[in-house]
Amino acid sequence: MITIPPFLRNGDTIGITCPAGFMTREKALTCIETLQEWGYRVRTGRTLGGDSDNYFSGTDQQRLDDLHTMLTDPAVDAILCGRGGYGLSRIIDRIDFSRFLQKPKWIIGFSDITVLHTHLFTIYKIASLHAPMAGAFNDGGVLTAGVQSLRRVLAGDPMSYSCPPHPSNRSGTAGGPLVGGNLSLLAHLVGSVSDIDTNGKILFLEDVGEYFYNVDRMLRQLKRSGKLDRLAGLVIGGFTEMKDTMRPFGATVEEIIRDVVCEYDYPVCYGFPISHGMDNVALKIGVEYTLTVDSTGSVLSE
Amino acid sequence: MNRKNFLSSLLAIGAAGPVLAASKIPLIVPPYLRPGDTIGITCPSGDITAKEIEPAVQLIESWGFRVKIGETVGKKDFIFGGTDDERAADFQKMLRDPELGAILCARGGYGAVHIIDQLDFSPLSHHPKWIIGFSDVTVLLCHLHTNLNLASIHSKMCNSFPDDWSKAEPVQVDCILSIRRALSGDKMEYSAIPNPLNRPGYAEAPIVGGNLKTIESLAGTVSDIDTAGKILFVEDTGEYLYSIDRMFWHLQRTGRLDRLAGLIVGGFRVKPDDPGEEYGHSVYEIVNARVKPFSYPVCFDFPVGHQKDNYALKYGMPHVFEVKPDSVALREKTGAGLQTTNPA
Repeated sequence: MITIPPFLRNGDTIGITCPAGFMTREKALTCIETLQEWGYRVRTGRTLGGDSDNYFSGTDQQRLDDLHTMLTDPAVDAILCGRGGYGLSRIIDRIDFSRFLQKPKWIIGFSDITVLHTHLFTIYKIASLHAPMAGAFNDGGVLTAGVQSLRRVLAGDPMSYSCPPHPSNRSGTAGGPLVGGNLSLLAHLVGSVSDIDTNGKILFLEDVGEYFYNVDRMLRQLKRSGKLDRLAGLVIGGFTEMKDTMRPFGATVEEIIRDVVCEYDYPVCYGFPISHGMDNVALKIGVEYTLTVDSTGSVLSE
Repeated sequence: MNRKNFLSSLLAIGAAGPVLAASKIPLIVPPYLRPGDTIGITCPSGDITAKEIEPAVQLIESWGFRVKIGETVGKKDFIFGGTDDERAADFQKMLRDPELGAILCARGGYGAVHIIDQLDFSPLSHHPKWIIGFSDVTVLLCHLHTNLNLASIHSKMCNSFPDDWSKAEPVQVDCILSIRRALSGDKMEYSAIPNPLNRPGYAEAPIVGGNLKTIESLAGTVSDIDTAGKILFVEDTGEYLYSIDRMFWHLQRTGRLDRLAGLIVGGFRVKPDDPGEEYGHSVYEIVNARVKPFSYPVCFDFPVGHQKDNYALKYGMPHVFEVKPDSVALREKTGAGLQTTNPA
């Protein structure tokens, strides 16, 4: 059974930490102010705007310590990752979840945080939040459907998301726990202890800045490692800032995916608002959802 | 059992462990080629024109081999050398063709993974052939090692044969000639410029590996390689440093670094960091951090990869790997039990 961390109440504390790439404190200010306006207290970890002079928000040990503090501190009720980038793979096997398991809390993020989400669900069966991070609040981002959905999800509102019909959609209805995240990270976890089990699940995928051939290769890996044949349903988010080779790959992401899953019959929805762009709604990984895809569009609801 | 006998039996088990694992399927070494033998050229991945393979064909014929050019040479389906069906059919035809002693992949690129599960490799059990290539062809080399324990040749392909042999650099010439030496059954020997970051040591084990990104993409699939007790070689091109770090973490997290006999790091042509995303660690630092807990020999700058010095390696075959402070040597192991498998 999946464990659902408690939703937040007025006055609860959200801790902000950066387990991967570096982020200046300035870039998190709008997020901090907004969370306070929503009625939460905010505690920032040492890795936010720390003294790191390189790619990471701190050394592996500093990032691990900061995350441990957030995981174990009883005064922190939820953990928002400042940003993704790269870095969780380097510390995931050293995270001590024992205190967190006694008092689970929502862990919020996406992109590189897919490693943490997948690890938590695979090994501990604890739900977590695939949702916008601190940077998404900037430049008017607070008003986007994504950030607003995070507000509602944290408060405990069950959510239902819909998106318009897409010519490549495959109709159908499916129910099952929701898993997924960034395709590159899901492929990167194959064969490790954090690897995702997709049987009977609704899988969602998104990615950014990838070559078409590489998206194709990663999807083939998921398929060849038995992760696409027994899905309940497939939800395709944004594949933003895609790059092509000198010689064009010759297929869109939709066409690549359609080819890879053509022999299965579960529903497939394209253009769902999960991405590195402005559209990125909050989804509870590990929680049961229903996916309905028909000629009027797609609906993903708890 | 007295203590001495008990210990020696333990040692025997210890010694037999990796050997047993490696020899679950006996190593198949295809027959080496003699003048008059035929090499097929096909495109399992990217596309190439007939004109582009001309230098390779002329040179291979000058070595005394015949060349059979596959139907995919000159075909083009976007980045692929023909449609998936066309590439699979051409490769399959070559696998079945009893006249061929070797199949040279014309170039890498991307696409082998599209056809690998359609191919029937059983003809190789009766009539083994050398499969030759690298980069995307790592898919085939890994798959054949894991599933058939078939030795193969990791080397340059048609697109790396110089147009004008007389103007080619000596190292380029030597690398191309190493394909001929490997195919002809010469015992292979390699050296590398010693790097102060190398870790000295000695190992005797089969060599496996290839393109790092491709190896990662095979994880969890039937083509995945087991590296335990083996010498692993890796190379890559066009990857960001953070991505190289992540791939080495993948090797570690999938249990591929802890039981190696040795590690050979070939060329890594790194994609420059995006502005503001400077990674700050070199490939040397990335690798050394990952192999620090272990004690096997490690060498850097080995002449294998997407570069001019990319020597033909007999993939899957036992080698002696010796790293000293002032030298690096890899040589094919000689000895009993390594006879060439003759065709039935």
